[in-house]
Amino acid sequence: MSFEHVQSRWLFAAVSLGLAVAMLMLGPGIALLATEVAIMALFASSLGFLINYGGMVSFGHAAYFGLGAYGFALAAAKLGLPLWLAVVLGPLTAALGAVLFGALCVRLTHIYFAMLTLACSEIVFTVLFQAYDYTGGDNGLTNFMAPRFGLSPQIYAALTVAIVALCIAFLARIVRSPLGLAIQAVGEEPHRAAALGFSPRLVQLVACVIAGTLAGIAGTMYSVFQGNAFPDYAGVGITIDALVMVVIGGVKGFYGGVFGAIIYVLLKTFVSRAFTHWELVIGLILIAVVLIFPTGIAGLLQKLGLSRTARPSGEQHP
Amino acid sequence: MMKIRQLHAAYGRIEALHGVDLDVGEGEVVCLVGRNGVGKTSTMRAIVQELIQVTKGTVEFDGASVVGVPSHDIIKRGIGYVPEDRRAFASLTVAENLRVVRKGAGNGQWTVDGVYALFPHLAEGRKRLAGVLSGGEQQMLSIARSLLTNPRLLLLDEPNEGLAPKIIDEIIAAILKLKQERVSMLVSEQSLRTIRACGDRVVVIDRGASVFHGTAAEFLGNPEIARQYLMVSGH
Repeated sequence: MSFEHVQSRWLFAAVSLGLAVAMLMLGPGIALLATEVAIMALFASSLGFLINYGGMVSFGHAAYFGLGAYGFALAAAKLGLPLWLAVVLGPLTAALGAVLFGALCVRLTHIYFAMLTLACSEIVFTVLFQAYDYTGGDNGLTNFMAPRFGLSPQIYAALTVAIVALCIAFLARIVRSPLGLAIQAVGEEPHRAAALGFSPRLVQLVACVIAGTLAGIAGTMYSVFQGNAFPDYAGVGITIDALVMVVIGGVKGFYGGVFGAIIYVLLKTFVSRAFTHWELVIGLILIAVVLIFPTGIAGLLQKLGLSRTARPSGEQHP
Repeated sequence: MMKIRQLHAAYGRIEALHGVDLDVGEGEVVCLVGRNGVGKTSTMRAIVQELIQVTKGTVEFDGASVVGVPSHDIIKRGIGYVPEDRRAFASLTVAENLRVVRKGAGNGQWTVDGVYALFPHLAEGRKRLAGVLSGGEQQMLSIARSLLTNPRLLLLDEPNEGLAPKIIDEIIAAILKLKQERVSMLVSEQSLRTIRACGDRVVVIDRGASVFHGTAAEFLGNPEIARQYLMVSGH
């Protein structure tokens, strides 16, 4: 994947600003839904970055989502810190977790890496679940703040969309930078990248910390959005959600996580209203994606010539 | 500049090299010759500390041992390695493949424009994805990428393997040009073309050990050696 094509900065800024303004005009229900989509888009994008560029499939990405949520919620509820400080501490907690877990996990590759990330996230989940005195265990942390700081759904949706857009712009910048190329190079051929002077583990650790921090931002925003924090935020279920989003959206495109989150959250919301077993629909879609268009929605749009987010098909790597 | 003595190296518990002696002098092109599977690639890997463990013997570069130095630090000492399977970063463009390197290495004579001049083929296709390049183009890209780290010693593992004769001519021309630029090279080979074109000295490897050391003229003047260790008809 090459990123000369994400260069339409102004288009990106205009679309993001337009979306944020549009949030202000929605009904409250739709605004809440849009907020969830935006947060999940960031979370899935951070995982997609790790998978698509870093070549690291993580089964434990929810650890950072949970750490972001609990870093914020604990600081606000238990330490009584001002909310603005708690909001900063959330992603920082996730970043710290990513440094620790990342340093451990990048020692391994492939399925072993995936299993170790799973173990790390299960540790986070278990600690949150068991440390009842601090985290409230399964009851979570609740009633310590008004959801969304008491902002109206529309304003919080606009705020979320703006922050997510900034984060994704940051990610696009990383991907295009020499660091991003190094991350891709290590992801593809660690030995060759080493022969060009990069320490593969160090580059992978940096990628893990970037992805973990962005996932933490998503977690913090989600905790603010709900006004609570539960151990499930670090549970394997959320990781699977994000993995499905990345696959549906496309493992070859930068915006795969965004597309995937939109489709997944909308399906989950609307199909579950009409049909109890909405997972069945997701499952069928997943099968279709994997078998028929393995490059996901991003790849499909590109094939139809509707998206500039990937290269012309003539130049695709087979 | 590089001195290898009694090199033994193993993949896990399986020893692949049992006594390789090898010298590469400043500005010299040394050809490493031998049949498939005798240890040419393993020798190169042992020099850059990739995938194989040195168990005995010494590998010295500029008087300092490189045994146990991580691969990514070896390049900083000035050894570039172009492996047999080339390994261009398939999902990056040609230009990006070359851009990956630039931050990784110090200042030096080689620039992107410089390697484009060496391989005009690459300059024409700089926006193409490396994954769709021909084998010859990938080989050129891999050499170009390595040059951008400004190596003083370049290891080329079978650079001509599986390439069309016309492309081989281009690669050999590039090796000759590099030789004029005083880049020292260790080139492994199964045919005699590179030796004829630009080899200074030849080291023959057989069953994990070096069995012949001599000048290119001595090697070429004694077809019996080639017959014994290469079984090629000298084409």
